[in-house]
Amino acid sequence: MSDDVIQLEGVWKIFGEQSDEAMKAVVEEGLDKAAVLERFGCVVGIANVSFTVARGEIFCIMGLSGSGKSTLIRHLNRLIEPTAGSIKVLDRDMSALSHNDLRDVRAKHIGMVFQHMALLPHRTVLDNVAFPLEVQGVPKFKRWEISQHALELVNLVGYEDRRPNELSGGMQQRVGLARALASDPEVLLMDEPFSALDPLIRRELQNQFVSLTKKLQKTTVFITHDLDEAIRIGDRIAIMKDGHLIQVGTPEQIVRHPADDYVAEFVKDISNLKLICAHTIMQDMNSDTVPAGVNLANAPRADENTNLEHLIDIAITSELPVIITDAAGADIGIISKDTLLQGIKGDE
Amino acid sequence: MNSKTQDSDSASLKKQAESVHRFAEREGEYYSQQFEKIQSKNGLSFSFNPHAALLGPLWASARNVWGFFWMSSIAILFALVQLGRGLWGELGADELARAERLSNKSQEMATKAQTALDSGSANADALLRNADNLQRAAEKSLNAADLAAGGANQLILWGALSLVVIVLLQGLMANLVYEKKYCRWRGGNSETGGFSPMNLLLGVVMMAVMFPLTMYRFTVARPVEWLTEFPANKAIFSGAANWLDAGFDSVALKGAGFFDGITSGIRVLLDGLEVILVDTPWPVTAMVILVMAWRLAGPRVAIFTLAALSYLAFLGYWEKSMTTVALLGTAATLCVVIGVPLGILCAKSRTAYAIAHPILDFMQTMPAFVYLIPIIAFFGTGKPPGILATLIFGMPPVVRLTALGIKQVPDTIVEAAMAFGCTRRKLLLDVEIPLAMPSIMTGVNQTILMCLSMVVIASLIGAEGLGTDVLQALQFAAKGQGLLAGLAILCCAMIIDRIVQGRFKNAN
Repeated sequence: MSDDVIQLEGVWKIFGEQSDEAMKAVVEEGLDKAAVLERFGCVVGIANVSFTVARGEIFCIMGLSGSGKSTLIRHLNRLIEPTAGSIKVLDRDMSALSHNDLRDVRAKHIGMVFQHMALLPHRTVLDNVAFPLEVQGVPKFKRWEISQHALELVNLVGYEDRRPNELSGGMQQRVGLARALASDPEVLLMDEPFSALDPLIRRELQNQFVSLTKKLQKTTVFITHDLDEAIRIGDRIAIMKDGHLIQVGTPEQIVRHPADDYVAEFVKDISNLKLICAHTIMQDMNSDTVPAGVNLANAPRADENTNLEHLIDIAITSELPVIITDAAGADIGIISKDTLLQGIKGDE
Repeated sequence: MNSKTQDSDSASLKKQAESVHRFAEREGEYYSQQFEKIQSKNGLSFSFNPHAALLGPLWASARNVWGFFWMSSIAILFALVQLGRGLWGELGADELARAERLSNKSQEMATKAQTALDSGSANADALLRNADNLQRAAEKSLNAADLAAGGANQLILWGALSLVVIVLLQGLMANLVYEKKYCRWRGGNSETGGFSPMNLLLGVVMMAVMFPLTMYRFTVARPVEWLTEFPANKAIFSGAANWLDAGFDSVALKGAGFFDGITSGIRVLLDGLEVILVDTPWPVTAMVILVMAWRLAGPRVAIFTLAALSYLAFLGYWEKSMTTVALLGTAATLCVVIGVPLGILCAKSRTAYAIAHPILDFMQTMPAFVYLIPIIAFFGTGKPPGILATLIFGMPPVVRLTALGIKQVPDTIVEAAMAFGCTRRKLLLDVEIPLAMPSIMTGVNQTILMCLSMVVIASLIGAEGLGTDVLQALQFAAKGQGLLAGLAILCCAMIIDRIVQGRFKNAN
């Protein structure tokens, strides 16, 4: 089993009655989106998307509405069939699965959380969480036990026997998350799960979510239209526009080296403080930023992966520059106040 | 900054004008000016379109404004008919004819009187008086005819005046109406703008048919017969009716076994219900109904049920009511058993819905008396055919509302269920039907009430029960009996309705 849990290769989705003909024309003639719409009356939803997601990674797909991100995530559990390309989840070729196998994969290996919760209003919270297990044919007593545990994970103990409409939006979404976690799937698909919540609840749930998935080692694909959210949550971010992936990279790569003007416009207002780490701006131990004769023995120390925000907290405790150490504890660089300010400003 | 806004103003003005040009195709300049005038003022504004004023319907047809076309055509036709009647219509023609007839008769009488007088008969006096009276009546009619003819000038004046008013109104309204059309045209593809010679031709043809014929019909005293009466063909009618008769007869003959099967199937269900409701001793039945009302719908419904049951019992309607309820129960059960799956099918399949839709319309609109005839032909008389007739009328709501309920289940919830590996069967049973339940229950309720309203009609073909009492009362004009039996039907309906509704409300 490879370490890449999700592998997409050249995935296309063209909506419309003549999608096959349109796909052929795209491959042979290289038509663009507008030309496909004009000639075949078909809409290109996903255009030649390839990416991989490693085990345990949180992969954010960021794009504005209409960019195709929700369509893309629905390909991963084949709620939407691709027009072309291959999709592998957990080394299974999704397009080749029979209906029964597909149901099995959906029920056991892929959990999904939806923007509008999509809970069943006529069932209790516990029975909502137990739904994927019920589909798998787990007996009632057993599935209640497991669901109870899932509710504990999302801090919703005590609400088991309520109906979803008695709960607040944030709580409902936690029920949605518990439902996705109930059958202990390897893969989580999150379709703008926190977009409909108010900012404070959203922040709280984001933090809860990150710690939970890291603890449970879930491979996650997370859809959002909010770059802040993508940066806060994602190990890697993919920027999507008009069905294309424009750039894939770590938050720092995206912010510091936007691939084009479109991405640059997005990241313009993103603060560097949390993204940039000490090793990016530090200077040589014997650089001339440190005046001669200063005794560095008492200087504060910080790990090379400390972000700027943290570095500021450390720097103001002392007159001296901060010494940066690597994972082994060896001194590898130095950051003076000037360097720090320059780093915050962002232009090198 | 001012010059900048002015620039953008003039740019947007130009854009507006261009859009009006595209819409009007001809005389875009004129219309863009007029529309700007109309659009720069709230409420009504003054804008006169001379073309529309003079050409009216022709302008409207060329410009594709058909509402305007019909309004102005009818108004002009009305004015022209007045003018025509005034100018060449034979006003008072019928009075004149009467006068002539009367004076002829009077002449006759006078001659008779003369002969009687000559022969010295006794009734000569009376005859003479008769002739006199007739002559006077003839003169009266003549006067009336004169008066009507004198009204000609008035009609001409009235017609001309209306014509002037219509022309003015056309001119004033045209641009307002056209501007409204322009706004709709901008908003979507449903409206066609522009100037179309083809439509103009269509307008001319329609006016050429409408105007002369209508004028002729109203201004000439005795128009030719084919104008006032559609030249129907009696042979076609009787041929079709005979053909249908023969068809029904042969189907009834050939399908006798099939129809008997249906009848006996219904009878089994009906007999079962009748044993429970009618044959069981009344205290037991009454108690069960009361307890059911109380447990399912609460104490208030129970009290109402007690009152309604007492009414039925003390007026001696108990057995008939129970027969009616058994009849209704059978019909409603069959409606639900057949209707709910049919509704689900309609929700899932576009084709099924397309086929079912006109049939449901037919079932609901066709007067019950019409399908009673074939039902008697196929199934004979009695209770089962009565139930079948009730079925036809009562089934559509439950089918429609089930389909509606299933269709209204949010796509997001269906998608979520699919994403967790739900099978189609589980999706239907555990997601779609529970979510559609409010709608389905409304349908069941509607069906029950509609079935009850068929009780009287079903009794026409021998489905006994309370309906029979109403029917008898109708035949003998027994007002009291009819009202009491009608109230008994109402009581049955209310008991069932309240219990079912109360049950559903409590469940939620």
